Amino acid sequence: MVQNMLMNLLHIFIFPGLLFVTVIGVLMTGIDRKLVARMQKRVGPPIVQGFYDFFKLMGKESIVPEAANKPAFLAAPIIGYVSLVVMVLFIPMFSFSVYSGTADMIVLIYLLTIPGVALIVGGTASGNPYAGVGASREMVAMIGYELPLILSVLAVCRKVGGSAMTFSLNEIVNWQAANGCALFQWALIPAALAFLLVIPGEVGTQPFDVAEAETEILEGPLIEYSGAPLAMFKLNTALKMFIMPAMFVALFLGGVHTGNVVLDVVLFILLTGLVSFITMTVPHAIAARFKVERLFKFYWTLVAALGLVSLVLVWFGL
Amino acid sequence: MFKKMIAKSMSKSPWIYHMNTGSCNGCDIELVACLTPRFDAERFGFKLAGSPRHADIVVVSGPITSQSKDRLIRTLEQVPKPFCVVSLGSCPKSGNVFKGSYSVEAPLDKYVNVDVSVAGCACKPETIIEGLYKATLILQKKREAMEK
Repeated sequence: MVQNMLMNLLHIFIFPGLLFVTVIGVLMTGIDRKLVARMQKRVGPPIVQGFYDFFKLMGKESIVPEAANKPAFLAAPIIGYVSLVVMVLFIPMFSFSVYSGTADMIVLIYLLTIPGVALIVGGTASGNPYAGVGASREMVAMIGYELPLILSVLAVCRKVGGSAMTFSLNEIVNWQAANGCALFQWALIPAALAFLLVIPGEVGTQPFDVAEAETEILEGPLIEYSGAPLAMFKLNTALKMFIMPAMFVALFLGGVHTGNVVLDVVLFILLTGLVSFITMTVPHAIAARFKVERLFKFYWTLVAALGLVSLVLVWFGL
Repeated sequence: MFKKMIAKSMSKSPWIYHMNTGSCNGCDIELVACLTPRFDAERFGFKLAGSPRHADIVVVSGPITSQSKDRLIRTLEQVPKPFCVVSLGSCPKSGNVFKGSYSVEAPLDKYVNVDVSVAGCACKPETIIEGLYKATLILQKKREAMEK
């Protein structure tokens, strides 16, 4: 009983939870900035730059503007952070999984919207017109990427569960262990592409960073934040940078069983880094920003169509 | 331990807010040139921030016209402590060629405590980077003084 509780606390606060995901997420932002710099023939900041930024922001004064709604303004970043930490507990790392239920995929989809909503709440609570514009843009982006995300997830769930449809990530991973990666099922390739295109939109990196466009609306919802709450919002982005690729690896590249749990986890993290490199670092180095309406059109036509094609193919049993 | 980390990080991740108070754009493009691949100020952690709330170093360029004076003071009040002020070029230091004009309220140190002044008209990117680097060291000292 006591041992069980201790294990739970360990899972929540140390290994896949709080500490681990924070450290790896912040490291990933550092690696991302370094790689982008190298691609632009620059030296670039050190890999631990994310930690420097975090601790610096912790040491700054936190100002709450007079026009702001104080409780909402300060609670928003923490709510987003907590929901992201909870998400990690549901993602199985190949053979290593902490919590697994019958419908963790649905839980994940709901939890995934909370950081975006927190950004909108925090932005509108700050009472700044730029933040208002940023919040409305974030809303448009969210409506844009949610549809293809859900379509591509549904395709995988239908493929694995048959007509009963399973929403258990653990079952999806086990199915992939038996039948090979979902990415190599040709009916699921469009869904995988759609998911890959959703990742930068969800995280809010380069071609899809309409909400935080610092050259247009000065980081939008974050404009009034300073000090510790700003550090929390930066952490949210860093965590998303790990969690979204991790979801991709669990859904489409799962099922690698080396037999050793530690090796599995290391391999999982490496694959996650690779996916994050393809989906976020390379577009960051080469692409400019979409207009808001173009982003919406892009997601609801091309990307949603990819997801839909996959879903229809899977529905007919291919 | 955290206090030490915070003080060290202060000098490692300075975010710059650039304020143009009627500058001729000469110093401004030199500041932007610091972030290009040739000079790459990002290797010290420098980043251009869009909002004064995110700023650690406020860079002021231009001879402070009467129109921009109040806005300058108001902007500086919005920056969270600790922060540094760096004056860019000769204009905010002395007024440069605009000195004596009815619409120029030149020396910046009349309104705010200037930590580092970068000279030149326009100043070279190398000197700007050196000046900003010195400002980061001052920033760290300010943070340590805040602890006491």
